[in-house]
Amino acid sequence: MQAATGAPLLAVERVTKQYKNVRALDDVSFTITDGITGILGENGAGKSTIIKILLGLLHPTSGSAKILGLDASRDVAARARVGYMPEHDCLPSEVSAAEFLTHMGEVSGLPPDVARTRAADTLRHVGLFEERYRAIGGYSTGMKQRVKLCQSLVHDPAFVFLDEPTAGLDPSGREEMLTLIRKTHREFGISVLFSSHLMADVERTCDRIIILQGGRLVRSGEVAQFTRETETVFIEVDTNRESLVSALERRGVVVTAEGGGLTVQGTDGSVFDQVRDALVEAEAPLRRMAPRRRELTELFEREVQSK
Amino acid sequence: MTGTVFDIGYQRYTGAREGRSRGRKAVFKDGIRIALGLGRGGRAKILPWFSIAALSGLGLIFALMAGAAKALAGTAQAAKMDLPSHSDYNGVAAVMMFVFAALVGPELLCRDRRDGVIHLYLVRPLTGTDYVASRWAAFLAVMTAAAWVPQIILFLGLSMGDPRPADYLAAHWLDVPRFLAAGLAMSAYTTTLALLVASFTTRRAYASVFLVGLFVITTPFTVGLSQEIEGPVGTWISMFSLTSIPVHVNDLIFGEISEMTDKIPARLLPAWVLVGWWLAWVVVPGMVLWYRYRKLTP
Repeated sequence: MQAATGAPLLAVERVTKQYKNVRALDDVSFTITDGITGILGENGAGKSTIIKILLGLLHPTSGSAKILGLDASRDVAARARVGYMPEHDCLPSEVSAAEFLTHMGEVSGLPPDVARTRAADTLRHVGLFEERYRAIGGYSTGMKQRVKLCQSLVHDPAFVFLDEPTAGLDPSGREEMLTLIRKTHREFGISVLFSSHLMADVERTCDRIIILQGGRLVRSGEVAQFTRETETVFIEVDTNRESLVSALERRGVVVTAEGGGLTVQGTDGSVFDQVRDALVEAEAPLRRMAPRRRELTELFEREVQSK
Repeated sequence: MTGTVFDIGYQRYTGAREGRSRGRKAVFKDGIRIALGLGRGGRAKILPWFSIAALSGLGLIFALMAGAAKALAGTAQAAKMDLPSHSDYNGVAAVMMFVFAALVGPELLCRDRRDGVIHLYLVRPLTGTDYVASRWAAFLAVMTAAAWVPQIILFLGLSMGDPRPADYLAAHWLDVPRFLAAGLAMSAYTTTLALLVASFTTRRAYASVFLVGLFVITTPFTVGLSQEIEGPVGTWISMFSLTSIPVHVNDLIFGEISEMTDKIPARLLPAWVLVGWWLAWVVVPGMVLWYRYRKLTP
């Protein structure tokens, strides 16, 4: 989905943010269209700064950041079509989820009767319909995270920012949240920018990723493209492992030891042929051989180290 | 009879979006609900409703005293007595109004910052100025109602207690705009100070204790000091009796000195000084409050 003007949903163009002695963002540019985009980076990489600039809570020192073709710091109305789920606690404890969401819907500009209906509907979609009249203070961590997601969706935004949405959740709660995030885009049609330090979550949920490091954009692109570029073959043999490594290296194959096995770069047909020949030459009995996509974690570490 | 429930899935919203004005109204409405404890547990309702009941009770007591005096001594004799009336009400109720503002006002700002809800407001079509102005207006509305309702009770009581209510209304109709203006002066002052102090802490209790201390301590301290020092310096020191500032304005509106300000040297200062002093205590804290929230959004 594109903005009505045909512009990308989010467009960041040469954004720099300079504090007194710290450059939080340095000449960062990217665009985001429809889908789920993950933004990865260590603490201080600039993830929160870029989100705050996009939401209009900070002015960039130079460059421009637009949501749906609008600068949210100058045009507050742009925020009516954007949702934000912060990482930190942001829920009142004394009011019910239904009342809180109705209020947040109204604050986003919905008429009161519409806000009430949408609050109930949104709670139903995240599985909290039965609990909607209970005070939020009595909810579990997982339920509170779902209420936080709900408040970002209650006004039916075109785009939603999720800041560490799985933080503090147990494995089942984390799985539920990731399912809801996928549902947010695939069923609700709302595009997502998802910031996380858990790369497994990003890898499983996102269509695209943006990697930030020290305020600079390290890399951005499709998740599939990232992992395809790093496809490897994992080999495990019973004996003669050292001979096999030598045989592979003589054939020009890049091989690295990994645990009890070996990892060979590339998955095209010639690599398999070379592995076969090397196994024969080294007389190494093959136990297991399988293509393996390198995890985003490794890729992230490699990209960051190379910078 | 049986029915089938269909899940029609997520529905996109294509209706009207009322933008910033709806956001402001929602924050205003929510502020009133917080101040009165509506939609919250029973404990949240105790303080505001007890305070409003106590203030209204004061108006009722004034009316009953006037009614009893008329019934026992006759209208002519009662008119000669110095019975408490509209002009005296704000002087007597000032401390209760300040305590009400100190206990309830901080709830409108502190909790949003402590719970982090403020961050959700500021990413919506709303600026820091919109938020704090709406909260200020909401508490002003509650404080104004708390100032006006007892005076309305008193006015109705005095009218109905008179043998000729129509004659009473004709003779005293000017009390109505006077007590409305005096109530507004009181509520604008207490609202602004309470919210300013609240903007410096996330804990309501800290703000409340500080405000009660400020209001309760400054009056005996400054009045005692001014009586010791005397002269112009003493008069200016007595200006810092924070509970008296809106009561001086009340005195000017009604054209008579109330019992509370009777011993405060500042009562002798020109009217423009007293009104200007009150205005300064509303505008300057209001500007500081506005600045503190304005800087939250660019």
